[in-house]
Amino acid sequence: MATNIFRSFLRPRIKTSFFKRYESSEKRVAIHDPFSNKPEKNKESYLQVIKFFEGRDQRRRGHVEFIYAALGRMKEFGVNNDLEAYKALVDVLPKGKLVPTNIFQAEFLHYPKHQQCAVDLLEQMENNGVMPDIEMEQMLLNTFGRRGIPLRKYWRMMYWMPKFKNLSPWYLPDKMPDDTLELAKLAIQRITSVDPDTNINLWQTEEIEVALDKTWIVSGQSRIQKLLLAEQPIEEPLVIKGPYYVYLRDQSVTYFTLLGKIRPEPKDDIDWDDVSKIEKPSGIPGFIGKTTLPSIKCTVHEQDDGTILAICATGTSSRDSLLSWIRLLEKHDNPLLANIPVIFTLLAPPSDVSLQETQPALQEEDNIERAG
Amino acid sequence: MFDYRQFSVLRKTNGSRPLLQTHKHIIKIPERFEFWERDRKGGYNTKIKTAPLDNIKNGFRELKYELKLFANEVKDYFTTDPLLLARPGETDLLWCFNSPDVLDKFVTTSDSDHNEGFSNCKLDMSPAGRAQFHGYLDTRIPKDGRIKKSGYCSMRSKRIRKSFKRDSTYDWNIYNTLVIKVRGDGRSYLLNISCEGYYDLTWNDIYHYVLYTRGGPYWQIAKIPFSKFVLGAKGRLQDKQTRMRLDRITHFGIACGDRYDGVFNLEVEYIGLEYDPTHDEEFAYEMYKTEKFIVGV
Repeated sequence: MATNIFRSFLRPRIKTSFFKRYESSEKRVAIHDPFSNKPEKNKESYLQVIKFFEGRDQRRRGHVEFIYAALGRMKEFGVNNDLEAYKALVDVLPKGKLVPTNIFQAEFLHYPKHQQCAVDLLEQMENNGVMPDIEMEQMLLNTFGRRGIPLRKYWRMMYWMPKFKNLSPWYLPDKMPDDTLELAKLAIQRITSVDPDTNINLWQTEEIEVALDKTWIVSGQSRIQKLLLAEQPIEEPLVIKGPYYVYLRDQSVTYFTLLGKIRPEPKDDIDWDDVSKIEKPSGIPGFIGKTTLPSIKCTVHEQDDGTILAICATGTSSRDSLLSWIRLLEKHDNPLLANIPVIFTLLAPPSDVSLQETQPALQEEDNIERAG
Repeated sequence: MFDYRQFSVLRKTNGSRPLLQTHKHIIKIPERFEFWERDRKGGYNTKIKTAPLDNIKNGFRELKYELKLFANEVKDYFTTDPLLLARPGETDLLWCFNSPDVLDKFVTTSDSDHNEGFSNCKLDMSPAGRAQFHGYLDTRIPKDGRIKKSGYCSMRSKRIRKSFKRDSTYDWNIYNTLVIKVRGDGRSYLLNISCEGYYDLTWNDIYHYVLYTRGGPYWQIAKIPFSKFVLGAKGRLQDKQTRMRLDRITHFGIACGDRYDGVFNLEVEYIGLEYDPTHDEEFAYEMYKTEKFIVGV
């Protein structure tokens, strides 16, 4: 007994009590998460939670923490691209209370946590590509006054975001389609925008009787490509290469190319203007004369690693669907494909990429199959 | 010199308090020192430590090459006339990626190099014989309570230098357009032109512009005037924008960080410069006069 008392004296008191406080507090805190117990997660329920928070308490205690929590849940509710949701969150902040009233308050960050919170909210908008509007400015002005840091952030955003919004030369709709077929159409359109003459066809593999995969094929081929295909030498096989990826915002589409041989260049061995032997004067960056890179070909389809004869995306990206594609191409004005061999060179996907459900296994490397 | 170009951090964190230090289980927020920059890399130490004796050995080994460089410089000084004009319509190539040794002039970085993310990237030769900047972009955030955002991969040219490891700069004053021939995957990439200066304030000055790629098997040539580039420091666009100093350029780089998880692949054939006489724009962004408390200085 006496030793126990003695020991309890010896033990450092402060430390144990410090831990005790944490221990007990851990047990007693019950986390109330209004977002988690919503049955369906959509914009309506998200706004409902915000309204509920606003009405619960006149002082709106813990509203900064609430806004941070709500910002983290936006993706889950699918409102991270929605201006209205962001506005509803800004509306949680009290109006008038946080406006600095003298120069010292204005200079030394009046209510710093609130200001940082609003800046973080605006930054999340920026990252998601949501442009604020005039009403948002008015709300922020009412909350923080015109010397608030969030206002500076807002003005910067309104200066830069419109400048970059429509900068991309390849237009994409604001709301990307969910359907893979529509995405594939967009992707093939984007790739073949290099040649405005391109025809984009939507075919079903049902047209070919022997096809195993019943799926769709989006194929792009221009009139020049048809001509180039008709001129291919019969003894040289064509190659199907893929799958390659093209990104449309966050969606990626796999596509395949049909490659042929490059037309032989007209031969002229004597080059009187050959300047490649002249030594380059120092000080001029770059090269003089011919590099090992090939010169520009007559058509855009003749790239240096082959002539691109057609491009497609299929619903399953399987080898059978590609076989159907070749047969469909043959059916639609490319009679040469009946006689010419076609090699399938399908690459294995990189090891660190997990395949999506719509793309069944294509793990065979360099599978060679003859068609036609 | 007060550093006003900083993150959007409004509050400095509290200094180290003894209570927090004694308990290891409490995560201490690292202190951010914002008055002056300590080193050029901003705390990312990438230097390989070598023993002093090895340093001496390596120095002697490099001496031969450096002397050769110096001899070339002296020869150039007497023989070369300065370039006075660029031929309009002709592209002078800075880097032409037709052989693997051009790749040695570039360095790739991704966030996984500093344990700040999970992206990885590589720069090597493509099957078509060009440079291929490819990898996997991952925006997952490591759970260390410190990192807020992650997901970038970048390639950057090494610093241009003269003999004996003296830093120098590119002089692109006679050109006004950047020409780059690429074959991408539909993502948008960021072109970075660094203009590191002498003072710590300018160490992180990078001029940015977006490189949109079409995607697909066709090559595309992008011509971007230097007047369109915007000034950023540590990734933040600056309020006071200026046109880039074309004789103070230290690095050129391409970065991928468009926040979409997945593989990326950018083939580059060449990066060059051109003079376009029809383009007489000095700077593409109008600058409004604002109140003093908005734009510092």
